[in-house]
Amino acid sequence: MSPNILQKYSTGSFHFPIKAGIENILVNKDSILDVTQKIKEDEDLLYDQLIDITVTDNMLSKSSYAQERFTLIYSFLSLKFNKRLFIFANISEDNLNINSITQIFESADWFERECYDLFGINFINHPNLQRIMNDYTFQGHPLRKDFPLTGYEEVRYDENIKKVVYEPVTLKQEFRDFDNESPWEGMKETIKEELGK
Amino acid sequence: MSENFKPVTLNFGPQHPAAHGVLRLLVQLEGEVVNKAEPHIGLLHRGTEKLIEQKTYTQAIPYFDRLDYVSPMCQEHAFALAVENLLNIEAPKRAQYIRVMFAEVTRILNHLLNIPAFAMDIGAATPMLWAFEEREKMLEFHEAVSGARFHAAYFRPGGVHQDLPENLLEKMKNYFSNFPKFIDTLEELLTENRIFKQRSVDIGILKKDDAIRLSCSGPVLRASGVAWDLRKSQPYDVYSDIDFDIPVGKTGDTYDRYLVRMEEMRESVKIILQCIDNIPQGPVMVENNKITPPKRSEMKNSMEAIIHHFKLFTEGYRVPEGITYKSVEAPKGEFGVVLVADGSSKPYRCKLRAPGFVHLQALHFLSKGHQLADLPSILGSLDIVFGEVDR
Repeated sequence: MSPNILQKYSTGSFHFPIKAGIENILVNKDSILDVTQKIKEDEDLLYDQLIDITVTDNMLSKSSYAQERFTLIYSFLSLKFNKRLFIFANISEDNLNINSITQIFESADWFERECYDLFGINFINHPNLQRIMNDYTFQGHPLRKDFPLTGYEEVRYDENIKKVVYEPVTLKQEFRDFDNESPWEGMKETIKEELGK
Repeated sequence: MSENFKPVTLNFGPQHPAAHGVLRLLVQLEGEVVNKAEPHIGLLHRGTEKLIEQKTYTQAIPYFDRLDYVSPMCQEHAFALAVENLLNIEAPKRAQYIRVMFAEVTRILNHLLNIPAFAMDIGAATPMLWAFEEREKMLEFHEAVSGARFHAAYFRPGGVHQDLPENLLEKMKNYFSNFPKFIDTLEELLTENRIFKQRSVDIGILKKDDAIRLSCSGPVLRASGVAWDLRKSQPYDVYSDIDFDIPVGKTGDTYDRYLVRMEEMRESVKIILQCIDNIPQGPVMVENNKITPPKRSEMKNSMEAIIHHFKLFTEGYRVPEGITYKSVEAPKGEFGVVLVADGSSKPYRCKLRAPGFVHLQALHFLSKGHQLADLPSILGSLDIVFGEVDR
């Protein structure tokens, strides 16, 4: 159960503070199947429950961990040892493929579909890789950082033609996106210019 | 079966009273036997995770009430814990007691909706009416502390929004001392009811291994005989100081899930009464005005308080870089928040791990080979609420 066993499977360290005392390893995305198989069967680990699979889009991230566009976060729970584990895998924008772990953890099915729907990660050998949250005909992957909050299409029921129609989004008022990061430092540029004179 | 027999595909929902919301279920039937049940979800998808990324940490709290809208406070609890973890702060003891107390009130509220709804699905109408009367009384406690019956936004990172009003503890003690009597009467109606048992015993059996394999949690996992409760195994707030038991089922059928929920309500009452007896005096919020807003009274004559207030409600507080995962034992199972902070005042990524999402995935496994009439029974026993499944 010591971290040493886990380090065997790790391919590098993840330079980001992981809180809540959760053990974590960074793995090469090609070895995800091997690693999940091992942590499930290793008698000193026994991570028998898959809790969650999620993705972060590192496009706007300034952190040092963001080496590639996407980072997959698998989280596991060992009921026997009462321990949690994060497995991180980086995925680049050019190659969105990763092996599906549904054959090892059955409940990965919907989690992977969700990652596909919202981020566009392509899980190889997934039994039914379809959209799950969005509409059947939806275009794009909404949780990516370059997808606008308001989206592209809106839906409305047309009384005349008696069916639902899709139209480009029209905003009734301008989209409000305030930068409140530091309201009193908003004059920074102005002050700099003033000082430069 | 005749030779020219063809399987029928039935479209169940999205608008159906037994679908518990907007579930679209494609059921493949062979006669009356379910061959395949394929849930199509997402009809209530509101993009909560995307919206949270655009809001400050304070503004994100109300979204948690709107996930699983029958147990709002438990989800705020997970978010509050996650943010506190990243900020390296701990709520004061009094706040922790209040949170535990109200998390349990919320648990009873949730079970009082689920049990009668499940009973109604399989033919019993009276429990619904009885339970809703009690729910209304309990929602008054929600209203007393937060001003809202459901969308409370009461648990905040750093504590709770306000201290308890005067006499509330007395009222709650009065009410919850008598509440087990109501559970008894509800049990008289259902537990040994012949029709209820015929519709639920040995339906949708989930064995121990299957429950673990399908990532089930909460009452569904416990009904299958796994003694696993995050309040005991990974205690948060003051659960470690409180004495309560974990009810565990034997067979893992829908009837066991009902029994586990019934017993859980009794345990919740025990927890609430202990909290009322042991709650200490003191602050209910971390007293650090860089994170929590100053008191109204202070703002009348302190410039600094006004500055803090302005900064907190425009910029919000900044949360240092880090990834965390905090989960609570929500009434439906493990509700968790994966929070990625990048040092700004908005979450960089906030993933919500909903128990219902996982349980609904198990529906196909549970209903295969059962009659179509058993499907509502199985669905009801899983306690699905679409607010959290679709997010």
